[in-house]
This record gives sequence, structure tokens and C-alpha cells, in this order.
Amino acid sequence: MHNNEETVTIELEGRKIKIPAGLTVIEALWDTGHDVKRGVGCLSGLCGACTVAYLAKESRMVKFGLGCQQIVEDGLNVIMLPYFPSRVARYLLELMENPLEQLPEIYAELYSCNDCKACNICPEWINVAGVMKAAREADYETATEHVMDCIMCGLCASRCPRGIAPQHVALFIQRALTKERPSPPNLLRRLAEMDSLGYAADWAEVALLGDEELAAYCRRVSEA
Amino acid sequence: MYTDHLFDAIEVVAATREKRKQQELARLPEEAVEQLLKKFHPDFRDSAFRNLRVGMNRGERTTHEIADLLEAFSDLDYSKIDLRPEYDTDVLVLGGGGAGVTAALFAESMGARVLLATKLRLGNSNTIMALGGMQASVSEGDSPLRHFADTMIAGNNAGRRELVKAMVEDGPKIVKWLLETGVDFDRDEAGNLAAKKAGGISAPRLISIGDHTGLNIMKVLKDEIGKRASIDMSEFTPAVELTTDESGACNGAILFDLGRKRHFAVRAKAVILATGGSGRLHMQGFPTSNNFGATGDALVLAYRAGAKLEGVDSFQYHPTGVMFPEHMVGVLVTEAIRSLGGHLVNVKGERFINELETRDVCAAAIIRECERGNGVTTPSGKVGVWLDAPLIEEAQGKGFLRKRFPSLFRHLMRVRIDISKQPLLVFPTLHYQNGGILIDETGETTVRNLFVAGEAAGGIHGRNRAMGNALLDIFVFGRRAGLAASQLMPTEPGEVTLNHVYRHYDRLKSLRISSVAKSPTLFPEFIVNKL
Repeated sequence: MHNNEETVTIELEGRKIKIPAGLTVIEALWDTGHDVKRGVGCLSGLCGACTVAYLAKESRMVKFGLGCQQIVEDGLNVIMLPYFPSRVARYLLELMENPLEQLPEIYAELYSCNDCKACNICPEWINVAGVMKAAREADYETATEHVMDCIMCGLCASRCPRGIAPQHVALFIQRALTKERPSPPNLLRRLAEMDSLGYAADWAEVALLGDEELAAYCRRVSEA
Repeated sequence: MYTDHLFDAIEVVAATREKRKQQELARLPEEAVEQLLKKFHPDFRDSAFRNLRVGMNRGERTTHEIADLLEAFSDLDYSKIDLRPEYDTDVLVLGGGGAGVTAALFAESMGARVLLATKLRLGNSNTIMALGGMQASVSEGDSPLRHFADTMIAGNNAGRRELVKAMVEDGPKIVKWLLETGVDFDRDEAGNLAAKKAGGISAPRLISIGDHTGLNIMKVLKDEIGKRASIDMSEFTPAVELTTDESGACNGAILFDLGRKRHFAVRAKAVILATGGSGRLHMQGFPTSNNFGATGDALVLAYRAGAKLEGVDSFQYHPTGVMFPEHMVGVLVTEAIRSLGGHLVNVKGERFINELETRDVCAAAIIRECERGNGVTTPSGKVGVWLDAPLIEEAQGKGFLRKRFPSLFRHLMRVRIDISKQPLLVFPTLHYQNGGILIDETGETTVRNLFVAGEAAGGIHGRNRAMGNALLDIFVFGRRAGLAASQLMPTEPGEVTLNHVYRHYDRLKSLRISSVAKSPTLFPEFIVNKL
């Protein structure tokens, strides 16, 4: 596939191996005959299934990324980390009156965070430590604003020495905030209109039309 | 990073930018559109299709890739499979995307015991990749009827009116349910849902969550399903066959445990197939935006069980899939880049189509340019055209693209391509299976007790799906299928058999059809070289 003959030598899942240049970690695994399924999902960098840990040539720090996005470079030492256990609290949002007030019970470990910033390894470039700080300070709007890109890969949780799972904490806040917001007026109006059978006569008309009449009807409605 | 050869080509784009800005390209008249589609849209390439020789849709046309699978044998030795169920449940849901999870949640809410089995990890699906938004008629000046009309027109009036009506009428209710479950959508100052206009939509109707609508919905639903006591989950266990009783009604499935490499039978009173589309079959050699698991398994399983399909000769090709760098081939570049004024530019630095034409027209025009030799060739020999994103950055101000399209920006920045300065190389990518297994308003197929929801279902979108309707349809029909399936709780599933498979095989043999394909596919072949 790659017309350039260039190759790189990497250490893949603990084995030294020569592969064509320009492949991602997942492609490198496939290219060398590994039957990888568990760590593969969307192949677009959005599902968070293919997390990897790697040590670049002559680097001292292990870094983290996504296997479908990380291009392997010569001397790389890389493994897949397709799953890391982290605690998800059990709660039923529908039974909670003011869910945000219950955050200290639901994720008590959040308040043991000492802002060490070890969690700031997000492949989506989220400032995880900043989000946790905002959460502790009950600035929930700020906390959620920054996690819309979170793909729930859980890498941040794998680094936390206090056992906090930032992705689950943030998701709870996201859901709780939504629950506490008033319903959108335009939606409520439309639902009320439909409840009072606002369109019943129109649908009755649609049901009786022949195919060609229906096509003309649709054009009329759409252009009105 | 772009190669020297591509950098040279980019210079042409930069050099012609000023001139192109002045240029107005008119929309094509109706006949010209028709001609363009007939000549260059992949759905009209007759050599890519053939008529099915067996099954409920015998004599109807579909792509070779799908026909191969529908006329194939499985590579399993059925005599070795133990049909005694290892697991018994009320509702078996196959597939862990938006449709499957919704179906499971609603079936459970009616008191049913549910097993949800997925091929990959729960949530790994095309749902998370839905960027743009979801259609729901919530804004002033819009109505369910208008939504109905737009959907019918987009589908070339080939969608089934009762299904389209069901979808548009449920739209606002689905939004309400999502809000209650903890999914918020973008709002305006008054707290109203902010609805946007889009191509082929006659009123503002697209509601979204930034640029990550599907991802943020799926995150919440995944979280919610984990909290329901009566839903069991089985990841990495794709279905390889449905089972039927003496009367031909569906009563379970054979799953394959990928980790332990063994098959096991699950018996259920109703089965909901929600395993998504078929982009990973790479129809006609096209790249795809679909996830790793989208191999059309639902079509195969349901067809063998005797279900009728509809419209499986119609696919949506999204005009702008990435063509370079290699590892991102097929990945979607959102429509918004074109709506914001990004030009499509050929190798000579010329525009060749009004970028606001519909998806199928833009896709056909790009294919035309590339076939005429006006495309740009990548180091591996692929061909595409430029999408001039820097033009938007110039018009909207520095930092705009990074802020508005953070994940696209990030993914390309990782390989040192700066989309605020360099254009994107794009080509149509296989995006959506317009047809599928025919359902009724409850989600039931022509096989009793077999329900389908999501992209696997057919009859809703006709010959072309409007933007934002897929994200709605998975929740609408997931909910309907879940509710209808839970009604079967009091029934007794009969004896578990594979009689329908034997019948299908007998027909293949009597027609002397032999195929090298084995189906279902489950996973794409070794796909380092995707094309």
C-alpha cells in the first residue's frame, strides 16, 4: 500500500518488529498478523476503545494515546490498553430531586483530589485536572463545558493515585445539570400542541392520498 | 504531514483562492442533476449490481457485495452447535449502538428481562460518530408535517409514509425522553432548543450538542443502561445466526464468544436486531466512514430467517471523506465545512460544483472530476479533490476552525496537518445504508417476533436519507421495538431450531449456487490497505 519503501523498527506488545513507515498502532498490529478486535471500534478517534501506552525512542516518560490515531515512529515501544477498570457509581437520576447536591455522596473520592495533575494525559486534549477542580469547587457549568469532547476512554482514571474516575464524575455532573435545567419552552409548546391533536386532520388527509398526490402534497408543504 | 508532491498541489489552491472567492457557481438545473447522478453516482453503476436468486427479494437488485453474502453459506458446522439454550430471556437485543441500547432500556421499563449482546464493546457504533445533529420539529414555524414532507422528498418519495409519520411524530417525544435521561442539547438565550437549518430541510430542525451530538447522547445512554438491574450485557459476542420455532417465528440467536471461541444459544420471546449498517463491506471499493463492525450482519441473519428487505440497492455516499493521510481514509469531514463556504477544488485550482448541492450530487461531481483526471493523486495512488478549509479561517478569523471543529482539527494536527492553513484532500465515502430489513410501525419484520431498529431497518429513508434523520430514527424505532417486544413476555418461545437456515441452504443448493463468501462477515478482512 505504502509506495515508499521506508520501514521502522518498533517494539510492539513486547516484540521487536519491522514494519512499513506511516502505520498507526492498530494498523501495525494488523500488518504483523495480530488478530486485534477488543481494542478496535470506530477507527475515527471517537469511541475511545483503542487506548495505547507508549515510550518514544530515548524518552523517559510513558505517554498515552489512541491506537487508531497514533502513527508509529522508529524505536517506539507500544502496547494496547483496551480496558482499565474504574468505579461507576450506581444512581437512578429519575429518583433524585437535586442530583448535584448528592455529588459528595456519589463520588466522595473526588474530594480527596490534591490536584497532582497526573490525569492530564487526555488524548482529546482535555484539561482533566482543571475539570476536576471546577467540580470540587461546585462550578459545574465550567466542568461540563470542557468535557463535551470526552470519549470515555478512561486513560485519566488509570493515572489517578486517588482512584478517581474523572470521566464518570464529569458524566454524572453533565446528566445532573441537564436534569436541573428547566425544560425548553419551544419543546413543551410542540408537545402540548400534539397532545391536543393539533395535526390529526392533516394526517387523516395524508392517509387518503395516492402516491402521486402525496408527492405533490409534500412539495407543497415543504415549500410553504 | 503532506508530502512535497502534495505541497506543490496545495500551492495551486492557495494561488487561486482570491479568484475563487469572487466566483458564483449556480445550482444545477434539474435535468443536469439527473444526468450527473446517472453517469457518476455509484448507485447508478449497473455493473456493480445484480439480482438476487433466492429468498424473499428474489429478482430484486442489490450490490454484488451484499448479494454474495445473502447467497452464501456460513462457515459454521451447525451439527456441532448445541441448540439447548445456555441463556433464557424475555427480549434479546443484538447490537450496542443507539438503537440497541434504546430498545433495551424501553423493554426493561415495561418489566422485561433483557440480554443485550454486542460484537464489540457496548457503545462502539456509528451513533457516536454522528456529528451534525438530530432532526426534531421543535421550533416555531416548523411542524411534524413539514418534517414528514422534507423526509419524503429527500427519499425521492420512496419511503413508507406510515414509517416516516411514526418517526416525525415521535421526534419531540424522543427529545423529551433524552432530556429527562440527562442529555442536554444546545439552547438559545431563552432556554429554547436551538434548531439549525441544513440542506434539504425547509425549517430550522437540526438540534445538536456542539459537534459531538451522537457521542454525548451515547455516553449518557451507556451510563444509564449500566444502572438497570434487569438488563444483562454480553460484549464481544456477535450473533452468527437467528433461531426459529416450528412455525418459523424467531425465538433466539446463536452467539459466538470471541474470547472463548465458542458458540452458545440464547432463547428469547422476542429478538431485536440492531446491528447497524454495512459500510465495512466497502461497496464498489469505496472507503467508509463506518465503524469496524458495520458488516451488514443483520441483513444476512434476517434474510436467512425469511425476512423481506427493502431498498438495499441504495446507499449514501458522503461527499467529503478524508483521502489523506492514509490512516484517516474514509473518516468524515462534516458538511458544516461546506455550509460555511469551504470550496471543493480540483487539481487545477478550479471549483466544479456548487458546494451546497445535496450529498449525492456533490459526491457524483467529485467522482466525475477524479475520473476526468482532474483529481489529486496521493503517494499511495488514491485520488481526491481539495476541500478548501483555510478559506473559512480567512473569512471567520484566526482560530475559528480549531474552536468550531476541535476533534477534526486535533486529529489532523497530530499528523502535522494544520487545516487552518492547508486544505483537506477528500473523496466520497460510503456513509449509510438507505434500505434494510423492512419493518412496520412497531419495528416488527415480516418474520414473527423478530424486530429491527436503526440503520439495519429499511423502508424509512427511501432512496436517500436527510441529514439528522438517522440519529432520530434509531431512538424512535429502538423505543418502538423495545415496547412491542416486551408485549410478548407472556408467550412461550417454542423449540429452538435452525430449520430456516437449512431451508435457505436447500434452495441455494437446488439452484447450484456456490459462493466463496462466508456470512455473516462479522469483521472486515485484514484492512490495513482499506481499498
